[in-house]
Amino acid sequence: MPGPDKETDLTERIEAFLSDLKRGGSGTGPLRGSAEMARETTSLLRRITAQARWSSAGDLMEIIRKEGRRMIAAQPSETTVGNMIRRVLKIIREEYARSRGSSEETDQQESLHKLLTSGGLSEENFRQHFTALKANVIEAINELLTELEGTTDNIAMQALEHIHSNEVIMTIGRSRTVEAFLKDAARKRKFHVIVAECAPFCQGHKMATSLSKSGIETTVITDAAIFAVMSRVNKVIIGTQTVLANGGLRAVNGTHTLALAAKHHSTPLIICAPMFKLSPQFPNEEDTFHKFVSPHEVLPFTEGEILSKVNVHCPVFDYVPPELITLFISNIGGHAPSYIYRLMSELYHPEDHEL
Amino acid sequence: MVTCYNIITIAVNECRTQKLVEYFKAQMRKNPDMASAVAAIRTLLEFLKRDKGETILGLRENLTWATDCLTGVDSSVAVSSGGELFLRFISLTSLEHQVCCLLPWEGVCDLTLAIANLCFSVFQDLSRCKKVMEERGELFLEKISMSRTKVAKLCHTFIKDGTKILTHSYSRVVLRVLEKAAAEKKRFSVYVTESQPDSAGRQMAEALRKLNVPVTVVLDAAVGYVLEKVDLVIIGAEGVVESGLYHKIGTYQMAVCSKAHNKPFYVVAESFKFVRLYPLNQQDVPDKFKYKADTLKTVQNLSEEHPMIDYTPPSLITLLFTDLGVLTPSAVSDELIKLYL
Repeated sequence: MPGPDKETDLTERIEAFLSDLKRGGSGTGPLRGSAEMARETTSLLRRITAQARWSSAGDLMEIIRKEGRRMIAAQPSETTVGNMIRRVLKIIREEYARSRGSSEETDQQESLHKLLTSGGLSEENFRQHFTALKANVIEAINELLTELEGTTDNIAMQALEHIHSNEVIMTIGRSRTVEAFLKDAARKRKFHVIVAECAPFCQGHKMATSLSKSGIETTVITDAAIFAVMSRVNKVIIGTQTVLANGGLRAVNGTHTLALAAKHHSTPLIICAPMFKLSPQFPNEEDTFHKFVSPHEVLPFTEGEILSKVNVHCPVFDYVPPELITLFISNIGGHAPSYIYRLMSELYHPEDHEL
Repeated sequence: MVTCYNIITIAVNECRTQKLVEYFKAQMRKNPDMASAVAAIRTLLEFLKRDKGETILGLRENLTWATDCLTGVDSSVAVSSGGELFLRFISLTSLEHQVCCLLPWEGVCDLTLAIANLCFSVFQDLSRCKKVMEERGELFLEKISMSRTKVAKLCHTFIKDGTKILTHSYSRVVLRVLEKAAAEKKRFSVYVTESQPDSAGRQMAEALRKLNVPVTVVLDAAVGYVLEKVDLVIIGAEGVVESGLYHKIGTYQMAVCSKAHNKPFYVVAESFKFVRLYPLNQQDVPDKFKYKADTLKTVQNLSEEHPMIDYTPPSLITLLFTDLGVLTPSAVSDELIKLYL
């Protein structure tokens, strides 16, 4: 019978995804880029919408929330998973509102205006059944997937506006987005890139090799030399793992140092981050996480004598406050850090901030 | 003849003023925990119910007059912002019930509204409109009385175990936030400034002691001294303006010190405290907010009085917790624009 088969197939896929998430997190740096993670999550959510059994929008949202919580618990440091789930929940709400024919309020948020004019305590329980809802939601998720495919290209297209000839650009570690950004600019301009190696994983080395293959003059420096070299740098362009709700960043360790050095020399700090990295978390909240990996990168196990006497930590992420950031370049254009709240309200519904 | 009429109107007005003020004071006495703005809005709603006007324009005029009376009694920013919000609420509701030929869009300016009302006032079904206003008004009151709970729910997650908090003067919203954090079994300690000239900080300390929270009262002058021990600063607000914050005198120096020490400076405020003002420095704070209402009436030379309110610019504020969500200071202006334009 097709019914139970589809269900077992679905649960199998979800389990496979979850174990992948759990495995993918431990180890030296991300094994997969966040873009891939976002795409896989969205395809899985589309599959759930298509194959799971639900009769109203409320049921579907419950199912997605349940699976979403499991996914986030499997790998809390992979924030793109949570972000995609919230995007899909917002899509469902919008499609439901459209099917109901209610006046398309672009703000489903609380606002002073809504406080004054709404007729009743909004008890939207999403219980009504619409036949076209499934098709509409799947179509909208497909649009989301198309958007995800194009993010790196959209960001790279903006490179020529920001990078000029004979400039010295500094970056840290390895970011696929920044790589594409710099390569796109290199087609028409000649400039010099300095890459900070970002110990202990030294992803900067791979970045430098890849950039020099495209004909860009690259120099690799140690993290300690960042401040010394900063006076010669025109711009700092970096990627990030997550953009937080206050406009701050959770980026690879060493980024805060880079940001402070840039501020001291009044060098603009530009972040290339696609929209799916925007997360509704705040940096000082209760359950913000930090990720520590095995310290053998910092102090190898061969140094057995010292290891018993010291505590060794190897944090993966760094927090950068919004005051140090000049500009965010995302697939929908450039924004100041103080504008992040607006983008958040467009992408996510406030009730979905906590799944 | 004319003077006789004038005397009668003055007498009638005084009688009405007295009744209004009495009702307002009774509301404040009945529920001392309620915000003064909520009491003001309740009074205005009652005034609306008893109003015997025939036109919407007349109604708006009466309400403006009533708001002025109330600010004459309690000159706080919150009462003024609450009154303005209520007036806006009336305009929006009456706009929805216009005979729909004219003015289909929102964001109409007062002049066109007045003209429209003059034309249509005779044909308007005012009683139906008023009934809707009353219903919506009750709903509005219900929503804003829940606003403190919403703020507390948002803010308490930022208080972790072992946090040391600094706060200023007596604020019921901050008290609610700390209550919620204590109810979640968090261990934290609080430093409260004494906050002269009315020593409101001691009231706050008493209330916190009842919650079994370890609290220390410090001098206003000791803020810089205490800040190195403190993890974060949480304060309430008298009014949230487009370019920052109005609160009890002493807030500005607390903000400057916490910026110097790199400590997060959080503000908790309900959304009805948002005011459409744009002060740029301390001089721009209007006199009617800076001094108490009785001081304004009795004292001749205001430069000898101590101001009660100061202005804090947004660059010193980290985050604002409101019932509309957690906002960065740049988002406040956005919210106000959405409402008033």
